[in-house]
Amino acid sequence: MKKLATLFMIMALAAITAKSALAGDTLAEAKKKGVLVVGCKDSLPPFGYIDEKSRQIVGYDIDFVNAIAKKMGVKVELKPVTSASRMPQLQEGHIDIIAATMTKNAERAKVIDFSHTYFFTGQKFITKKGSVKSLKDLDGKRIGTAKGSTSEQNVKKAIPTATVLSFDDYPQAFLALQQGKVAAVTTDEAILAGILAKAPNKAQFEIPNLQISDEPYGLGMRKGDTNFVNFVNKTILEMEKNGEAAKIFDKWFGPNTQFHLQRNFKITAGK
Amino acid sequence: MLNYTFDWSIITSGKYFDWLLSGLLMTLKLSALSIVLAFLLGLLIAVMRMSHNRPVRWIAHAYLEFFRNTPLLVQIFFWYFGSYKILPTVINDWLNETGFEFAAAAIALTIYTSAFIAEDIRSGVLSIPKEQMEAARSAGFSYLRSMQYIILPQAIRITIPPLVNQFLNLAKNSSLAMTIGVMEMTYQARQVESYTFKGFEAFTAATVVYLVLSIVITSLVNLYNEKVLNVHKAA
Repeated sequence: MKKLATLFMIMALAAITAKSALAGDTLAEAKKKGVLVVGCKDSLPPFGYIDEKSRQIVGYDIDFVNAIAKKMGVKVELKPVTSASRMPQLQEGHIDIIAATMTKNAERAKVIDFSHTYFFTGQKFITKKGSVKSLKDLDGKRIGTAKGSTSEQNVKKAIPTATVLSFDDYPQAFLALQQGKVAAVTTDEAILAGILAKAPNKAQFEIPNLQISDEPYGLGMRKGDTNFVNFVNKTILEMEKNGEAAKIFDKWFGPNTQFHLQRNFKITAGK
Repeated sequence: MLNYTFDWSIITSGKYFDWLLSGLLMTLKLSALSIVLAFLLGLLIAVMRMSHNRPVRWIAHAYLEFFRNTPLLVQIFFWYFGSYKILPTVINDWLNETGFEFAAAAIALTIYTSAFIAEDIRSGVLSIPKEQMEAARSAGFSYLRSMQYIILPQAIRITIPPLVNQFLNLAKNSSLAMTIGVMEMTYQARQVESYTFKGFEAFTAATVVYLVLSIVITSLVNLYNEKVLNVHKAA
């Protein structure tokens, strides 16, 4: 029994020391390894999704990390994450950076470091056409969203009487809406626009102009990984200056896409 | 270092405690209901599987192979999302109004587990010498009555250890119900994690709950074994 206990102790210690090696300087280490491991979404157009033709993950988030990796001179390895898994994965060193539509907030900033805001949106609803005119129409209704996201907390604040059903990810939440199992699906407008654009019967749905929160997205990095955070911030500020950031926005959201969104933000320091 | 400070206070009182408690109650409700139904359904399928009526036997066989050999997660999605296509609109509307998540999860767990239980019961029955059935039949019992009075009471006794396994599996499998939004233990633990980032505490609590739940199930069945069926541990 004693031997067994000692064995466990050694294993636990080994696990801890193995971890401690990871919480170093990601910038230096990724350059050494020649690869940057990115946690991204893989079913969330146009941020991160699998392109039907190339079978590769592409999107707005992906273009940003590609630009950062290019500047570092390393390759990108994409690892699909869910809203609930991305923070633990980062902390445990399975991924180096989160580029997965992640809203910056104070709670999260206690645990990880964020880059400057690289995308700005707000939380809205997608509903059956004409069914929701004001937030009152959602009183006591069932509202779907994805687990582990900030959307859930916001909607509970905005409509306390609603029942929030958290699904594993947005496709299931939207399926529940199509089948009438929920009255609305709520999350950031840009994500909703992506869902709506892909929906087979999109004429039946709409995104009413009801915003319940501001959602600034940041790239997530390990707490205290200062060199890397500074590098990422410097890179995306440069991308803003030389117009690359705006170009990426237009590529995924601009007038030639199905979203027709206006770029109403700029990447600035201190945000 | 691991850069993690444990803070147990968040899960021992207040809002997050209430969440975990409600998750526990939901897990208990879902497991208990599904265990009872799965046992009854499993019994029925086992008897059908051993029937002398060929179509009945085949139906039971097909049922077994189908539900044993498809993933539970797929079955849960099937009952929750797939049933929409089959059921008439009136029933769908009613289900959507009342919230179909719990029922869909209970149906999936019941049916999935009943297939395993049926096979366990059948193996118990097969271990009873077939002369007993012959003796019962020649004493004038019908097939069903011989099953009811002679074979099954003995077979169930033999079947109890593997049955406990199925019950334990079911209790733990119930965590898959969270994928369709049933707010059970694991769902609530994840909720607590995403609000507080105290995942270790929340999942430790969930682990302890599943452990205690499993031990309680095992003890209850053992107690039944000893007190009601008079099977002693030494035997």
